[in-house]
Amino acid sequence: MSAAVGEALAVRGLRKSFGTVEAVAGADFDVPAGTICALLGPSGCGKTTTLRLIAGLERADAGTIALGERELNGPGTFVPPERRRIGMVFQDYALFPHMDVAGNVGYGLGRNPDPDRVRKTLALVGLEAEAHRPVHELSGGQQQRVALARALAPTPDLILLDEPFSNLDASMRERLREEVRAILADSGVTALFVTHDQEEALSIADRVAVMRDGRIEQVGTPEEIYSRPATRWMAEFIGEIEVLPGEARGGRAHCVLGTLPADSGVEGPVDVLVRPESVAIGLHGPQGSPTATVVSRKFYGHDQLVELELSTGERLRSRRLGFPQWHPGDRVQVWIEGPADVLARDAG
Amino acid sequence: MALRHLFTALGGIAACLTLAACGASTSSSDGGPAEPEEEGITLYSGRIAAAIGGAVDAYEAEVNKDVQVRFADTADLAATIVEEGDASPADVFFAQEPGALSALADRGLLAKLPDDILRLVPAEYRDPQGRWVGVTGRARVIGYSKENVDPSELPDSPLELTDPEWRGRVGWGPQTGSLQEYVSALRLEYGDERTREWLEGMVANDAQAYPNNVAIRDALAAGEIDVGLLNHYYIAQAVAAEGEDYPVGVHFPPEGLGSLVLIAGAAVLESSDRKEEAFDFVRSLLSEETQTFFTSSSKEYPLAKGVEPDPSLEVPLAEIPSPPGNRTDVSELQDTIELMQEAGAL
Amino acid sequence: MVGALLGRQRPPTALLVAGVIVGLGAVLPAAYLFVVVGGDLGAALDEALTTDTALVVLRSLGLTAAVCLTAIAIALPLAWLTSRTDLPGRRIWATLAALPLVIPSYVGAYLIVAALGPSGMLQDALGVERLPSIYGFPGAWLALSLFTFPLVLLPVRATLQRLDPQLEEAARSMGRTPAETFRTVILPQLGPALAAGSLLVALYVMSDFGAVSIMRFESFTTEIYVQYRSSFDRTGAASLAAVLVLLMLVLLWLNGRVRRRQALYRSTPGTARPARPYALGPWRWPALAFCAAVVLVALVLPVGVLIYWASKGISAGAMSSELAGALAFNSLMTGAFAALAGGIAALIVAVLAARYSSPLSRWVERAGHAGYALPGVVVALGLVYFATRAAPGIYQTVGLLVFALTVHYLPLAIGPIATALGQVSPRVEEAARNLGRSQLTVFRTITAPLVRGGVFAGAALVFLHAIKELPATLILAPTGFETLATEIWEQTTFGFYEASAIPALVLVAIAAPPLYLLSERGTVTA
Repeated sequence: MSAAVGEALAVRGLRKSFGTVEAVAGADFDVPAGTICALLGPSGCGKTTTLRLIAGLERADAGTIALGERELNGPGTFVPPERRRIGMVFQDYALFPHMDVAGNVGYGLGRNPDPDRVRKTLALVGLEAEAHRPVHELSGGQQQRVALARALAPTPDLILLDEPFSNLDASMRERLREEVRAILADSGVTALFVTHDQEEALSIADRVAVMRDGRIEQVGTPEEIYSRPATRWMAEFIGEIEVLPGEARGGRAHCVLGTLPADSGVEGPVDVLVRPESVAIGLHGPQGSPTATVVSRKFYGHDQLVELELSTGERLRSRRLGFPQWHPGDRVQVWIEGPADVLARDAG
Repeated sequence: MALRHLFTALGGIAACLTLAACGASTSSSDGGPAEPEEEGITLYSGRIAAAIGGAVDAYEAEVNKDVQVRFADTADLAATIVEEGDASPADVFFAQEPGALSALADRGLLAKLPDDILRLVPAEYRDPQGRWVGVTGRARVIGYSKENVDPSELPDSPLELTDPEWRGRVGWGPQTGSLQEYVSALRLEYGDERTREWLEGMVANDAQAYPNNVAIRDALAAGEIDVGLLNHYYIAQAVAAEGEDYPVGVHFPPEGLGSLVLIAGAAVLESSDRKEEAFDFVRSLLSEETQTFFTSSSKEYPLAKGVEPDPSLEVPLAEIPSPPGNRTDVSELQDTIELMQEAGAL
Repeated sequence: MVGALLGRQRPPTALLVAGVIVGLGAVLPAAYLFVVVGGDLGAALDEALTTDTALVVLRSLGLTAAVCLTAIAIALPLAWLTSRTDLPGRRIWATLAALPLVIPSYVGAYLIVAALGPSGMLQDALGVERLPSIYGFPGAWLALSLFTFPLVLLPVRATLQRLDPQLEEAARSMGRTPAETFRTVILPQLGPALAAGSLLVALYVMSDFGAVSIMRFESFTTEIYVQYRSSFDRTGAASLAAVLVLLMLVLLWLNGRVRRRQALYRSTPGTARPARPYALGPWRWPALAFCAAVVLVALVLPVGVLIYWASKGISAGAMSSELAGALAFNSLMTGAFAALAGGIAALIVAVLAARYSSPLSRWVERAGHAGYALPGVVVALGLVYFATRAAPGIYQTVGLLVFALTVHYLPLAIGPIATALGQVSPRVEEAARNLGRSQLTVFRTITAPLVRGGVFAGAALVFLHAIKELPATLILAPTGFETLATEIWEQTTFGFYEASAIPALVLVAIAAPPLYLLSERGTVTA
């Protein structure tokens, strides 16, 4: 299958209300051509509505949507969904129940679809052998791949995926994520997928846009999103976080675990955000590390989560490898080992 | 599998439609034995084909024109003509009861008939203002079950049917036009009070209400009721069909308007643009030939002067009281209905 | 303003225009009533609603409620037995039990009188002096229940066949008995089907004239008839008929509430396993007896009497086969046209209501029901009024008759199509649009094929009823145009039961195949 290069998506000031509820309240973000972007957010944040607005299945109240050079939505402009060249994979797949696999995949290829093209697209998702089976006989994973193949077949400029893995069981999900990522990367299409699962977003996407209450909270690479959350809400939404009060002066922040570099411009009271895996403990830590007592410990096989109480009375968690084994009552030293984020106290 | 069923069925419907498109034009002229070329008048008939078909055929043959006949209930047809107003396709209306004719006459929908037609029928059997004319008359009688009732027990007047001895044994048809006509006649003859008393007495005496005369006759034949108020010819026809041992007898009560004559009549519509042909059709209905056909086939009294009734009509027409009063007043029937409703008969 | 009327998803203009045309067409007969009462409904109602008529309204409502409950009492066990158990011959029972719908209520009623009336066949057989009277409420109730219960059976059975068996299994695994499971899990899910089926039964009972007049039960429709007869003054009758329309609106509103409270069941991705039939064990004997009793009383007896009479009629030469063929052709033609028009019109109404919910589309849907609550004679006279004034060219043509039948029976088709649409996820249509197909193409290639079963079911129901319709046919058909139904009327008016049995049997015979298909496919849904 020829690798078509997708187009870049640009969304500006997008707004959509349903009655009195503002589902999308001025969203701005970009998806560079040929990349895979995740739109991540808690349920009800407006991410599915955003996807439907991009697909043209809803009409925006305000804002613009552009795909490459083409304006799809703007003042006085509304391109109907069938002329957007945007493929979509629905959460429940929305396969055509009265058609077989090949019928579904060929549907977007015009009245007389090229069988060769259908076959190649099916080969891409590994379903060549199932071409003439009715779709309701397929397993969930197979249906998912048919939906993907159907969306890819007309070589769209952009493909949208709505919670594409939520209907699959855990092991299937893991495998299919990899497959889908590979298929999307191969085809060179620009992809935007919606998910509420941060692990999914961080593991597949080239870029992640986090959405909250109808607005984009932060856009960045998965690493940026995880290690440098722009707000405290972001930090709490993406994984576990420990928040330590501190004081910043002249590019350095001081907190109970020691002194850290801080962005210039941040002065006064700050929150020091540190992920539990960046909280190190040991019998002998670096010079001047505070001491703490182990309060409890949960064992997860590969790792363990240790809850500590500092001598100052503050509590925090440390995620360590499964060995050595810590016990409640052990006295340890605590220090930061890895990234930490310093945010002014009023941010988020 | 299932889809194929569906396609077959849809295909069947489609085939029907295609056929129908070709067939629709021909199917409207089903019926008459010989198909006359020219289109003639349109008749709205409250009397069914079995009662008037022969008369229509005879007329068609005579003038060599095709009569379009619409059969339906008299009241429905009258209501239809009212809604149609000036646009009515009907030229002639043949009604089972004169009430419907009077209602249309009151609304100015009927044309005045030529005097030569009116002269064919005695004055008591036509509209005083000449807008409709009676064609046949049917006698109201008391029918009785030959098994359950001895003729000597039968009352001299329907008014006696409120006596306790008839409790639960009488059938009548308060919804039928013919009983309503009879009640109207009672009111004119005896006044509203006496009529109301009788109606209430009938209801209190558990008179069984049937939707039409046929049902009353069949209930008599089945022994479901012992006596019934109905029209003579329903029994006479059954006797003609089933023979003399038909288990329902006819009694002409001499008193209480018991054997009143009710009229089936015809009128020409004011909106008709074929009035002359329509008048001709009415003339043909009153011709000796057609009148004889009516009396011998449907056992009704011929109303045209000088035509002999069928031998089964043992009481001469002259001895049966004709409906009293001015029958053109439609509000009368309305008042009758109201009275019947108040008395609980409707 | 316009935006508020059209709602969030603006329908394509062509669909909207078509919907408004259907709605206006369907509301014509009701509009006629308001023309007749001079717009002053209040005054007309004051006049119409005397204490007597109020009593008749109550009687009619009582009859309606009794028939609905009886129809459910017959249909619900039948539906369950023939869809969820190992009842021997369950498919045959299901088909046989649906067939009483083909018997016109006026034919059914006189058959019941002939069979069960005082000194009827049953009395002859028992040799007793006098049976309790069948006339009045018992007769009307029996006749209407026996010949309308399939309107509940068909949608309930179709819903039962589609229910996810896992729900039942889950309930059973939580320690519920089969009876409790039925009451707490299955019954609530049957709500919409029961509501839709009994709505059709209720509207049928309220507008029926044939059965109630033969059974001598004073109902609302006989009252309207008396008004027409008495004065030929349409105001009184129209006022009463307007009351019927108001009652119908109340029923529709109630029905809408029941249905809205219940989200339509939609299966999750993955394949649904077929349900494992419930083993009846020794209970299959009473179950069989129940099915047999229903089929015997509602189908075998009436059709048996018809065959008996028809054989006497045929040997007496009552009707030539050419005439029977011509009548059957006319009935088939009007019925097929009405079914086609009804299927298309109902599809438009249902798509508007299901996909483009808005105040306007809800009004179109309600308007679509207006014609069914009115007695056929009122529908017919309303169309006489408008056609002679506005479109004299179509007056007394097959076209106007088909229009009347379509308007009269439209709700029968809306229900199954709306259900079929409810089962098609809008996502499927959206997916098709995203694949570059226009709204119209998506409708043609995706929506229409998926709701085809519903459209077919709806059209078949319209057909079944249209070929039985009497007053509208008598008044609106081209002059001289006769059908099986008018022939039955003509013969029974004079009491020629043997002769009338021949067209009645032909009517039953041509109605049976579509009903058989409906029952087989189980596509008639609420």
